[in-house]
Amino acid sequence: MSCKLAFRNVGRSIRDYAVYFLTLTFGVCLFYTFNSLGDQSVMKFLAQNDNPNVEGIFLLMGVFSAFVAVVLAGLILYANQFLMKRRKRELGTYFLLGMDSGRVSRLLVLETLLIGLAALISGVALGALASWALDKLTVSMFLATPGEIFSFTLSRPAVGKTTLYFGIIFLLVMAFTGVNVSRSRLIGLIRSNRTNEEVAQRPLALAVALFLLGCVSLGTAYAILLVRGLLRIDLLWFLMLGLGTLGTFLIFRSLSGFLLRLTKGHPGYYKGLNMFVLRQWSGKVHTNCASNTVISILLLLAIGVTACSVGLNDTITSAVGGQSPYDLTVLNYGRNGDYEQADVSALFLAAGVDPQAVFSKVESVTVYYNNETATGFPEAGFYAAISLTAYNSIMEGRSLPSLSPEDIPCPTPDPIVNGPAADGVVVVSDELASRLVPRRQVVNINYRGDAATVDALVRQTLEGAQDFTGGLDIMINYKLDNYYDLMGAKILVLYMGLYLGLVFLLTAAAVLALQQLSQAADNARRYKLLSRLGASETMRRKALIRQVALAFLLPLALGVIHAFVGMKAANEVIQVMGRVDSVHSSLLTAGLLLLIYGGYFLATCFGAWRTVRTGED
Amino acid sequence: MEPILNVHGLQKTYGGRGTCTKALQGLDFRVFPGEFVGVMGPSGSGKTTLLNCISTIDHPTAGSILVDGSELTALKGKALSQFRREKLGFIFQDCNLLDTLTGLENIALALTIGGAEPRSVERRAREAARLLGVEEVLDKFPYQMSGGQQQRVAAARAMVTGPALILADEPTGALDSKSTGMLLGQLDKLNREEGATILLVTHDAFTASWCRRILFLRDGELYRELHRRSMDRKAFFREILSVVSELGGDSGDVL
Ligand SMILES: Nc1ncnc2c1ncn2[C@@H]1O[C@H](COP(=O)(O)OP(=O)(O)O)[C@@H](O)[C@H]1O
Ligand SMILES: [Mg+2]
Repeated sequence: MSCKLAFRNVGRSIRDYAVYFLTLTFGVCLFYTFNSLGDQSVMKFLAQNDNPNVEGIFLLMGVFSAFVAVVLAGLILYANQFLMKRRKRELGTYFLLGMDSGRVSRLLVLETLLIGLAALISGVALGALASWALDKLTVSMFLATPGEIFSFTLSRPAVGKTTLYFGIIFLLVMAFTGVNVSRSRLIGLIRSNRTNEEVAQRPLALAVALFLLGCVSLGTAYAILLVRGLLRIDLLWFLMLGLGTLGTFLIFRSLSGFLLRLTKGHPGYYKGLNMFVLRQWSGKVHTNCASNTVISILLLLAIGVTACSVGLNDTITSAVGGQSPYDLTVLNYGRNGDYEQADVSALFLAAGVDPQAVFSKVESVTVYYNNETATGFPEAGFYAAISLTAYNSIMEGRSLPSLSPEDIPCPTPDPIVNGPAADGVVVVSDELASRLVPRRQVVNINYRGDAATVDALVRQTLEGAQDFTGGLDIMINYKLDNYYDLMGAKILVLYMGLYLGLVFLLTAAAVLALQQLSQAADNARRYKLLSRLGASETMRRKALIRQVALAFLLPLALGVIHAFVGMKAANEVIQVMGRVDSVHSSLLTAGLLLLIYGGYFLATCFGAWRTVRTGED
Repeated sequence: MEPILNVHGLQKTYGGRGTCTKALQGLDFRVFPGEFVGVMGPSGSGKTTLLNCISTIDHPTAGSILVDGSELTALKGKALSQFRREKLGFIFQDCNLLDTLTGLENIALALTIGGAEPRSVERRAREAARLLGVEEVLDKFPYQMSGGQQQRVAAARAMVTGPALILADEPTGALDSKSTGMLLGQLDKLNREEGATILLVTHDAFTASWCRRILFLRDGELYRELHRRSMDRKAFFREILSVVSELGGDSGDVL
């Protein structure tokens, strides 16, 4: 009988507590998606190419997943607590009907198990879909990646890990539920349907003072952040965090009293259900100010992390993409540290690659030691000098603007080789260059025909060749290597950012939704009275939506302002590379926010409306 | 004179075929403007059912109810809401006021729902509060008021829109005798001075003695009708008691 009851209850729970089930499913889905990266085509491809970032991605993913599991466990326990509160009367009835607490516990544990299983299955199914979409997105982001390796699979290790982690979480939930029930008293359960909201009158002066104090401490925190930047972590940095949190808290704490007084003088206060909505909201915003603060900060993290990861992703492109102007660069470091010119084409020919056939361009340049007294640029920042003629011929070959004699000496506006050595070269006059000591020879090569085929051929040949360099110290920098490095770095940043950002967003939205729904029983009573007083269904529905919207928008507003300031500070940090608040990142963040936050908002509206309607005449 | 409330052949049956309860079996009565009518009867006689049908919370099985000329049984959705806020005022036994609103705002709510001119709302709400003697609790929340004050605020809310009919279901049920006297005194004043039409359901003879006319229900039928006429309250009270003892039912309910 317990079993049948449990099944029936679960069916009802999924309908009535959709937000709870939604949260479980989303949690499982996110967890599965990011833990199934190992089976994604792009990652497999990178791993095949011995990309150094792959290991980092998996390592970080493991660490983040542990963190995410802890966050989700907290969220699910919180959600379960809320569910129990809403079902107290029902549980009381079971006791009244003569079930002992052991049986009620067993019933609840069985329910948790069933809901957990349902969430696990639907979450993994959704996760498989999401990971497929993510894979497709990643593939489309990296044009050079072969598309045919990409397929739809269910990742076994990810399913295993998800089941294990969520199994533990559900066990925890069951344990909590069991303990909760066996400790509860019947009378508490039966009487729990009425709560009397204590709406204390607070003096306006106090509200205004607290509000101003909140604004000041928030402003101070912003000022510290903007003046000192994001990454100077010392005492003042923690003070900044503290002030920011305090400011947010105080604003939530005082806002209701403050706004209420402001609007009360306005005739609109006595229009339709405005007064009712404002009162409903203000009572809650005051009692929930601590959780609203947490939600604001979670939203800040969600927005900040997502936007920064997408923005950084764009930045990496512009920073690293410019460093591979050639298919291949040969860096000749000379013999035993002494400069020695080599005929690189001849070396390739000797090794078995015909430069005539596979290279469209072989261009050799000599760079010189940068002597500070001669060039005026410190050697510490500019490791080499290049003559104007050589530089201009390189630029000409790539159809880039050349420099004129008046412009020099100056640092090279564009990179002259592949790889990290691209910066830090000074262009000097040919006359000056002739007086400097040669440092090394760089040979830039472009392929003829299909780049991937030639690249493979060159690598294969060089690996097989004995003493390709003839005793010279030679380094080769391939464009494709740089490209895969870049790709790995981009994926790392993007995935980690999305993973954490989505979890924060999910948590914030779910907590808000649960809070709203936990008031549903009280609301049902109030809306029933409104209905009896003649408020039409449209009027009531609008009031309820406005009430939920206010609850969702306020923490979001503060969170967005925080994120805005935080991203300004983050911009300073990586200004050298670009900006994090690009249009692209803002759009994607806004899209995700709209999807998840908006989704929870709608689910909450529907859920709240359902409860309100069922309580009506 | 046209009646404010015209109930004709009213029937209400609860439940399905096998176990049906006939809560009301063919009621006929009228209430005219300015009347203060009480409905009495033992527990289970159909008082609440009658009131729920008139207040459109419940639908009658058969018969008709006309309030101020409009047929209730035909009303639905928007028209129903409009009818409730324009024609009716409610005072319930408990759960009357919104816990999140102050006394003034609870009274004002009836006006704002009805779409009253926002600038006039506060003045009208204060006026209603003055009539019912609850000016001192206007800025208090329900949990800061006594039960009697709560019911009088509810009464102020019920009359502030100037409804055709004020309905009260056991409004004194949860009050002590002093608060009961005060609430009924104010309702009586409302009836005499403002000409409000009131239909009050009670099983308490003392409460009923404030009315001008009393309808006695038994098993869902009109059993008797009692007019106060020129009687004083004490004499009327005694007459009510005699009908009640005729009716039977437990005397604990009555005293
Ligand atoms: N919702 C309902 N379902 C079934 N029977 C009901 C319902 N409400 C009332 N009744 C029955 O109708 C009769 C009249 O009830 P009611 O109007 O509440 O009486 P009163 O208010 O006079 O005590 C009673 O027999 C009661 O059991
Ligand atoms: Mg009753």
